[in-house]
Amino acid sequence: MVIGQRIPKLDAPDKATGRTVYGHDVKLPGMLHGRILYSQYASAKIKRVDVSRALKLPGVKAILTAADNPPTKFGYGKDNTPIKGDVVRSFRDEVAAVAAVDADTAAEALDLIEIEYEPLTPLFDVRQAMKDSAPLIHPERKSNLFQKYKYSHGDIVEGERESDVVVEADFELPYVAHAAMETSVVIASFDHRDHLTLYSTTQIPFLLQRDLAEALGIEGNDIRIIQTAIGGAFGRGLDIYPYEPIAALLARKAGKPVRISFSRHEEFLAAPMRQPALIHARAGAKRDGKITFRDAYALLDVGAYISWGSVTPLVMMETTASLYRVPHVKFEADCVYTNNLITGAVRGYGNPQSTFYTETLMERLAVALNMDPVDFRLRNANIPNEEMPQGLIITSCGLKECIEAVAARADVGSQRSEVGSQKDSRISNQKSEINNQKLKRGIGFASTLNVGGGARIYKSDGCGATVKVDDFGHVSLITGSTEIGQGSETILAQIVAEVLGVKVEDINVLNSDTDVKPWDVGVHASRTTFIAGNAAHIAAMDARKQLFETASELLKAEPESLVTRDGKIFVNDSDRSADLAKVARSRHYREGGKVILGEGWYDPPTKMVDKDTYKGNISATYGFGTQMAEVEVDTETGKVRVLRLVCANDVGRAINPMAVEGQIEGGAQMGLGYALTEELIVKEGRVMNPDFLDYRLFTSADMPQIESIIIETDDPQGPFGAKGVGEMGGTPTAAAIANAIHDATGVWLTQLPMTPERVLRALEEAKK
Amino acid sequence: MKPFDYFSPKTLSEASEVLSKYNDDARMIAGGTDLLLKMKAGRLAPKAIINIKRIPDLRGLTFNSHLTLGALTTLEEIKQSPIIRQYYPALSSAAATMASVQIRNLATVGGNMCNAAPSADLAPILIALNATAVINGAKGERRVLLEEFFTAPGKSVLGVGELLISLEVPKQEGKSIYLKHSPREHMDIAVVGVGIACRGFNPLTQVRIILGAVAPIPLRAKKAEEEVMGGSLTKERIERAAKIAAEEARPIDDVRGSVWYRRKIVEVMVKRGLTGLVNGN
Ligand SMILES: Cc1cc2nc3c(=O)[nH]c(=O)nc-3n(C[C@H](O)[C@H](O)[C@H](O)COP(=O)(O)OP(=O)(O)OC[C@H]3O[C@@H](n4cnc5c(N)ncnc54)[C@H](O)[C@@H]3O)c2cc1C
Repeated sequence: MVIGQRIPKLDAPDKATGRTVYGHDVKLPGMLHGRILYSQYASAKIKRVDVSRALKLPGVKAILTAADNPPTKFGYGKDNTPIKGDVVRSFRDEVAAVAAVDADTAAEALDLIEIEYEPLTPLFDVRQAMKDSAPLIHPERKSNLFQKYKYSHGDIVEGERESDVVVEADFELPYVAHAAMETSVVIASFDHRDHLTLYSTTQIPFLLQRDLAEALGIEGNDIRIIQTAIGGAFGRGLDIYPYEPIAALLARKAGKPVRISFSRHEEFLAAPMRQPALIHARAGAKRDGKITFRDAYALLDVGAYISWGSVTPLVMMETTASLYRVPHVKFEADCVYTNNLITGAVRGYGNPQSTFYTETLMERLAVALNMDPVDFRLRNANIPNEEMPQGLIITSCGLKECIEAVAARADVGSQRSEVGSQKDSRISNQKSEINNQKLKRGIGFASTLNVGGGARIYKSDGCGATVKVDDFGHVSLITGSTEIGQGSETILAQIVAEVLGVKVEDINVLNSDTDVKPWDVGVHASRTTFIAGNAAHIAAMDARKQLFETASELLKAEPESLVTRDGKIFVNDSDRSADLAKVARSRHYREGGKVILGEGWYDPPTKMVDKDTYKGNISATYGFGTQMAEVEVDTETGKVRVLRLVCANDVGRAINPMAVEGQIEGGAQMGLGYALTEELIVKEGRVMNPDFLDYRLFTSADMPQIESIIIETDDPQGPFGAKGVGEMGGTPTAAAIANAIHDATGVWLTQLPMTPERVLRALEEAKK
Repeated sequence: MKPFDYFSPKTLSEASEVLSKYNDDARMIAGGTDLLLKMKAGRLAPKAIINIKRIPDLRGLTFNSHLTLGALTTLEEIKQSPIIRQYYPALSSAAATMASVQIRNLATVGGNMCNAAPSADLAPILIALNATAVINGAKGERRVLLEEFFTAPGKSVLGVGELLISLEVPKQEGKSIYLKHSPREHMDIAVVGVGIACRGFNPLTQVRIILGAVAPIPLRAKKAEEEVMGGSLTKERIERAAKIAAEEARPIDDVRGSVWYRRKIVEVMVKRGLTGLVNGN
């Protein structure tokens, strides 16, 4: 069995030893370095652009201005152009770009470009932008409101009438950056036929082909995308962004390949962010501990141009409507243009936001009912094989098991109210030395629901795969899916290895070239193990069928009696065997011979949500999880230390438990940052902390002890029973910590991150 | 980064010469952990970089009548040195709060002083310990109390052509402590840093309370010092002194904390620092 083994990631040794080739390492012959000039204003008219001085700088090969833009607009909202021409709408707006022989020359040239602006009144506040009197960010649209979402099931009025307790709160959530180790990078190169090859860290190679074709005014079949090794992406690469067409336009203008690689500062400014949200939410419950209703309104800042930030309400409403069994639900959201940064997809995609308000309200309800929070959650937990009012069809479901598993570790009841006690934790006494009575401890819980079987947000949610066995018995898996560090190469290799009875190391996974690999929608929505895994499984089964066909001749046995093991094909219950290479060669080298080439295509049996009601079964299965955080709050400084995080996740089946733990721990690291330290501080459209000094990620020193508990529910449709886990690790963390802070101090926090200053303010206000 | 000339002098006089030649357009590089960041961000574009790491006069850590820290002494050396751990434990623990081991192996005490960031962690504790800066200039050597070394954020008394040779720290007869508050455990800049050194106990015959990151330069909380000097040191007096220190602080609102919060933390840190000294840890 290869399935279920703890196998280190196949690409890890090369990454750890510096052999992996990233986009930043790629150097094509004659390649130039591109740099982008960004706007000086958040909102202004451009009066004049003068590039003459920059053009004279030796080493400058091409300068791009809005005059070079193709005629069409691009992006999800069809509101963006590579270089901005008449108006700028944010500080991240590209106003010119340079290609030069080296990066320093390109930077120097940017300083020589003169742009005259006429400042306009900017809009930074979503509430202001919603007003009728507000100036229009895009005058061709009649409103700054880009999209309104309205979802409901049941009857909220009825729900409230049935309630014995009702809780409500306002929440304020921050901009968060992906902070991938590798900054954005792209290399564009045209060949003699004017075909474009784009070396890219995109997560959607096939959609980008189409989007880029549209942005450049060329045909999709003139574009080939080669994905270089991706040093983290977390949703950053799910859309087309202006630097990509800019690189292509520069390359065409200069007649040379052009690379644009972002500095860290630029990454914090120009890459899409997790969108900030203002939320008002309410919930009710009956004295018997049953939830009656949930009602939430989210006001979302999408920034100056539309990207995926405008679609996160789809996920927010899923948490609001379907995490736990809630009879009456209403969810509304407004996505609004401002002169702020672009907001896009970030791991969890709306779910960290919605789980924060949903699960802190759950805790408030438990407190209001004077009920144990674990018990309260269990009473309302989702159950297997149930269609939710929202249309989600829950098949496998281990939420109850997740809650029980973390609760068992928390020793509920005995330790919860014991404040400042010296429980087992990694904290040494040295830290607790001063004023012990000022340190208070508490624990908190939160659960999560996340798509685990793809998410049909495009008409196709499919993925293709090919499995090839060559004359030497070597196996190649060519998959449409993309490796972004999540470990998909290893998981997919395990699936193929299991079917063909070979070692994981003997499988080569090819997944980086649109001219070679079959179509896939992209790496998002925790979908790769489930969707690409099923596709790889189908392709491997097809290859095995071909092998068995030939082997049955060689071994003089029925195909049904054959099994694969140790790189060989055996006749069941005997030692008669032929190795893969021999079978492959025998099939190949004969008249009318064939090669072993298995094909697979998998598109899950799901629906796009209805465009008016937002109902429908968007995913083939759903993942669940629960976290328990134990914190220590310094009530004099407001500093919160997380002592322990226990995470239980229903992953269907752990194809590789080590990889699952990696996803949970990595997710938790992002969740902890969201909870306590990470915030891109944006004042009047400007990023105030565009560096790792003041944009604080959780470091290894800050990480609490993480206990991962894997719950297996054997999903009926997943490859070997598996479902997705890529995003769940970080979604409930902030809520679990906020609930633990409440347990420790009696104070509710509603704004993220819960910095020492915010915690202290809340404590001081509670004293009043 | 803009191109620059590079020098690697072997003596102080050679270094002074190059420095004077470039007037204000040259920068010395020690560990480079402050300098290179500014250059990469485009906030600084010196015409010349002068590597001072080959000048023997700037090295060494010796202890006899006092402690001498060569300007090139790294933060990791300060953290690890058995002498410092024994005689100046607060200095060693201040260094331990800084950056990460990789950075501490590059970063120098001279760089930390001459960069003159209001949040520099070694400044409050070294001032509390009453250190003196030994400076080399065109006119030879001069000595300045570290308390008078800083003049503004990023600025010190060093004139054109001058460099810091070493820091001299008198032998301590009392106790000292450094407390740092930052959101993260490590790899973080002080939101508030408090260095305290005192002599005697009940009554305190001498005390120096230095606040970091709450004023343009490290700030001596003299009124708070007066509050706890002489007489018996009660909890009430400590709390009063802490409040006074908070009032003496002159913080600004920035992305790391508001004026309100920084004053709160000064109060907590001074209270904890004095209490810690009194309780003997
Ligand atoms: C990741 C990271 C974490 C950090 N964490 C902390 C922290 O926790 N606390 C903290 O206080 N700092 C921190 N720093 C800042 C920095 O590491 C320290 O200030 C360090 O001591 C600087 O020393 P250096 O030798 O690297 O200085 P350099 O960068 O080499 O020099 C700094 C400045 O001082 C001048 N200079 C250096 N030596 C002399 C001399 N002998 N005479 C005259 N001028 C001189 C240089 O010209 C330059 O202007 C951190 C930096 C990084 C990158």
